[in-house]
Amino acid sequence: MAGKNSEIESIDFEQALTELEKIVKELEAGSLSLEKSLVLFERGVKLARLCKEKLAAAELKVAKLIKEKDGVFTEEPFKPED
Amino acid sequence: MAAVPANKIYSVYQINRMVDDRLRSDFSDIWVVGEVSNFKAYPSGHLYFVLKDERSQIQAICFRESAQRLKFQLKDGDLIIGHGRVEVYVPNGRYQLILDTIEPKGLGALQRAFEELKRKLEKEGLFKAERKRPIPQLPRVIGIVTSPVGAAIHDMLRTLELHRAHLKVLIYPVAVQGEGAAEQIARAIWDMNTIEEVELLIVGRGGGSWEDLWPFNEEVVARAIASSRVPVVTGIGHEVDWTIADFVADVRAATPTAAAAVVARGWEEFEQRLDDLWSQMNERVQEFIFEREQEIEALIKHRGFELVHRRLSEAQYQIELFMNVLSRVVNQKINACFQDLNLRIERLNRQNPAARVMRWRVMLETFSSRLDKAFSNIKTPLEARLTKAAASLDALSPLAQLARGYAICQKPDGGVVMRVDDVQVEDEVKVRVADGRLDCQVKNKMKGV
Repeated sequence: MAGKNSEIESIDFEQALTELEKIVKELEAGSLSLEKSLVLFERGVKLARLCKEKLAAAELKVAKLIKEKDGVFTEEPFKPED
Repeated sequence: MAAVPANKIYSVYQINRMVDDRLRSDFSDIWVVGEVSNFKAYPSGHLYFVLKDERSQIQAICFRESAQRLKFQLKDGDLIIGHGRVEVYVPNGRYQLILDTIEPKGLGALQRAFEELKRKLEKEGLFKAERKRPIPQLPRVIGIVTSPVGAAIHDMLRTLELHRAHLKVLIYPVAVQGEGAAEQIARAIWDMNTIEEVELLIVGRGGGSWEDLWPFNEEVVARAIASSRVPVVTGIGHEVDWTIADFVADVRAATPTAAAAVVARGWEEFEQRLDDLWSQMNERVQEFIFEREQEIEALIKHRGFELVHRRLSEAQYQIELFMNVLSRVVNQKINACFQDLNLRIERLNRQNPAARVMRWRVMLETFSSRLDKAFSNIKTPLEARLTKAAASLDALSPLAQLARGYAICQKPDGGVVMRVDDVQVEDEVKVRVADGRLDCQVKNKMKGV
């Protein structure tokens, strides 16, 4: 289960968004050289594209929790017809 | 079975009618006190509900004419005093209370319990706004405490999917109504809090009667929510239903679907924000490039550059002038050379051997024509003598004899016929006369004529 979930966890969406916001802010400040701003732009494009791709790939995963006798929980596939 | 007289056997209908008659006469004008439950207002305007107390319950109806006169909004949990009658609904044999007047009579038992618990928890500060925690913007793993059957879980999952929430959902199946439901719900909330990856909880159930929703009004559930490590979003019943759990929750959504939407909202906003930043970034970079272009343009038009431009064009002008002079001088030089060359060629021509040959040829031609003339002076008299001689020769020719009327007869082989015997009768002969030939046949031969 943890393995399946890792594709969601492998990218920190919040961090990516924060960095993107910073990039846009820096670009808007307008005090950068052309080269520097293009480097920032490139980084921004990469981040945004990565997020988009991850969002497109990730799906809703649904599991039902079963409490075992020893108090440990196991996950079972959930079917709405249950 | 003993014989029963036919007139003593009733039909089902007859029994229901008889009971109805009896009830109508005995309970035509009665007052009743009870708590409203399972309240339903139909589009027809009739109100259907169950009236009950601790021991018993009865189906009650308030028809539209009476319902329109009610001075308050009837709802589940209301304790009322009503006036009306009791009758049998003959088609199904159930008896029911028909109320024409309804007055509120304080709070029902459940309502009282609700108000008491609400007051108590409020006093403890469990409903305070500052207790409410923000829900995580982009939760990766959430728990849902609800019934695994029914529309609620289905609606929640569909909503999460619809809003493109990228989640792992852990469902903790519980009973959401009836005996022990409250304890199961509270246990589920506690258990969920022990699972580390869970970031957020939805506690919910679909719509139902006041009693159906009751577990969510129990203290044990309220306590579980209040002590939850992770934020709790409630979505219980319909818009109008407020339970104690809703008051304690960090976010109260009107329905299970709304609760799922609240959880998914962050993801939805994230995607929008991402799109916004994307286009802002693009715009900004385009602006940036445009600005740089403007700057370069401005630099090019700068005064300093203009001076250089002017100097350059001056220099160019001088170069052109110089080039003009230069080309004139060179042309003159070249022309002079050509003239000199022509002179030399002329002089050279005069000493040309071909010219001498030409002169010699002219002389030669003069001599030649003089020679021709001398020759013809000799030739003409010679020619005249030659013509005369030829004429005399002519007179002797056999051809000349023919001209005087003689003919020559020839055989086909060309031999001249000299005698009669040279030919046979019917031989063909040719007779030549002065101006031509006659082809003849010998008809007869006569000698000595």
